[in-house]
Amino acid sequence: MELSRRRAIHLGMLGTVGAMIGGTAACSTSTSGGSGGGTNSIDFWYWQDGLSEKVVDDAVKRFTSVSLKPQQIGGDFRQKLTTTMASGAFVPGITGIKGEDFASFTPQADRFVNLLDHGADKLAGQYLSWKWKKGMTKDGKLIGFPIDIGPTAHFYRRDIFAKAGLPTDPDKVGAQMSTWDDYFAAGVELKKAVPTAHMVSEAWSVYNVAVSAAPARYIDENEHFIGDQDHIHTAWNYAIKAIRLGLDAKVQSGSTDWNAGLANGSLPSQTGAAWGAADIQSGAKNTSGNWGVALSPGGSGNIGGSFLAITKECSKPDVAFEIISWILSPENQARGFTDSALFPSTPATYAMPALTAPDPFFGGQVTIQVLGQAAQKIPVQYESPNDQAVSAPYQNELTNVESNGKDPDAAWADAITEAKKIGQRLGVS
Amino acid sequence: MAVLRPARPVPTPSMQTGAAGPGRATGFRRVRSHWPQYLAISPFYLLFSVFGLFPALFSLYLAFHRWDGLGEMQFVGLKNFQYLLGDGTFWLALRNTFIIWFLSTVPMLFVALAIAAMLNSTVRFTAFYRIAYFIPNITSLVAMAIFFGAVFSTNFGLVNVVLQAVHLPAVHWLTNPLGMKIVVATVTTWQWTGYNTIIYLAGLQAIPSEVYEAAKVDGAGPIQTFVRITIPLLRPIILFTVVVSTITGMQTFTEPQVLFGNNGTLTANTGGAGHGALTMVLYFYHQAFDNHDFGYGAAIAWAVFLVVMVFAAINWRLVQRRET
Repeated sequence: MELSRRRAIHLGMLGTVGAMIGGTAACSTSTSGGSGGGTNSIDFWYWQDGLSEKVVDDAVKRFTSVSLKPQQIGGDFRQKLTTTMASGAFVPGITGIKGEDFASFTPQADRFVNLLDHGADKLAGQYLSWKWKKGMTKDGKLIGFPIDIGPTAHFYRRDIFAKAGLPTDPDKVGAQMSTWDDYFAAGVELKKAVPTAHMVSEAWSVYNVAVSAAPARYIDENEHFIGDQDHIHTAWNYAIKAIRLGLDAKVQSGSTDWNAGLANGSLPSQTGAAWGAADIQSGAKNTSGNWGVALSPGGSGNIGGSFLAITKECSKPDVAFEIISWILSPENQARGFTDSALFPSTPATYAMPALTAPDPFFGGQVTIQVLGQAAQKIPVQYESPNDQAVSAPYQNELTNVESNGKDPDAAWADAITEAKKIGQRLGVS
Repeated sequence: MAVLRPARPVPTPSMQTGAAGPGRATGFRRVRSHWPQYLAISPFYLLFSVFGLFPALFSLYLAFHRWDGLGEMQFVGLKNFQYLLGDGTFWLALRNTFIIWFLSTVPMLFVALAIAAMLNSTVRFTAFYRIAYFIPNITSLVAMAIFFGAVFSTNFGLVNVVLQAVHLPAVHWLTNPLGMKIVVATVTTWQWTGYNTIIYLAGLQAIPSEVYEAAKVDGAGPIQTFVRITIPLLRPIILFTVVVSTITGMQTFTEPQVLFGNNGTLTANTGGAGHGALTMVLYFYHQAFDNHDFGYGAAIAWAVFLVVMVFAAINWRLVQRRET
């Protein structure tokens, strides 16, 4: 997921270099495997921290009827998978697919095994139903088996909130700031008490979280453009409101200023996916113990979260399915959380000790109480293969309003015109 | 030239006799009699045709199709190019590319010329200075982009700290459209000034010292010597650097990609806030490798090719006119 990509930037891209070296090394070993991993072997592609490495190693030892060959693929995973699948040689039998790429693979569903043919329906009850549906195609084939999810939440600095007379207890924060309007009202109070503090780090963090909690996205299931409708416009208006009220610090997440703002208290509140907590922890180490996690304003949504898939080239799809369902069982997802900070897609895992331990960074809060609740409230959104391309103009126009002072109404109109134009070329009506 | 002459192939009997016979047979016989030479140079041509020529031609084929990289290709005729003409983002990227090119090339070449002139007259530590100026050119661009990203950051960046120390307002370098272009141009300038300096230095050293001595005898001062002697004699080299920086400048990609490509918030490779640093090549990369729209990406790539061609033609005309 996106986590490792950003962490790589933080480490001065050293990680990327390492991953590239790792990637080439992995490629050279795959020559022994052959297409789909030969007759009795299964090549298995994933990326660093995409699964718990220890669980994968255990799977190799456990499933001895085939020779499972896991490889961590570095660099642009989607690109490498697409190229390999297009060439038809050395295609992995089992592969990870990142959440943001998944929709664009659904038109190629016939290149993957329908997991329902291998008894996946028996396991459906163990997984969050919205995530399960996300792994399905429109005609009801299951091609993506749920790895992790990215429930949205509100991360805040208890010490700064206390200074502004705002609640500090997660339940109270969640209750008082349950809507975006209440959240902004608290932001105004915060700014009065602590003039250097901005409630919102950037307009996108409002817009993106609000869209993720909406009942639909930019394109509906009939491939009609619906990005000009209320569910998107409302999210847009919230982001604009944050800018108008002066609550927006205009600091892009992951930047030097963002890290500094988290540490010095000028950015005491973040809305985003649960995996963003790792970025906050690495960006503001010295504030450990001062943070809290509450439910996101405006309802919970999901950002990111990946899948495992079995390709048609896989020599033993039955065994492959056994392997992936074992790797992603509720017990092993607890290990995925501990080893690689993957938020489980199996609700049963939320009660396991790995997740119920108090988190010292968040002042000893048992964060799963909030995040687990958020995970189960996420709406089912249809994501079209063209969703990302069509959503780009909104993001661009929002930053135009934010950094260049463009008139918000003109920006909204321009975003829709541009999105429709892009959509038309891609076959969206 | 005298030095080059012995390196030319000595005419062989077969070449001379072949001149009278039919052309095709000559060519074939020539190839056969020189097969070791052709074999020796073949690796380049083989690699070039596989990794250079074929992709280039295939991208032309792609430009008339819609393809997501995995499914079936769909012939769409000129639709990609038609869309390109009406695509505001492409025109914005074209404009951005020109602005960044101008902001980087002009200061870069001036500074390089000044440094080269100074290096040419240093007596001590010449090798050290040359290496020092060349080091940015071989430094990892990714590391530099991270460094410059920190230097230009709004609240804690060195540049804004200096600006505020002299009571000037802080600039949002990384989100303001002009600021973003300046940052990209700064990185480019930083990286390529040393390279151009070395080229100028080579040019300067080729100017015979007699010319300078004659100027000195005629009573020319250092500035007059530089303007009247050095610059005119360096002209072919200056034109070379202008043409090379134009071609590379039109294809600016890495700097905006690493500076604004991956901040975790915006869609990758869209050139930062408001497409402020979106260059033509970055836009084509984004369409092909982020949107998986290889057909449209190829169409943009060919548009970039046309722009560079037009620019190269203008440069060529300028050179021609001056020489006649």
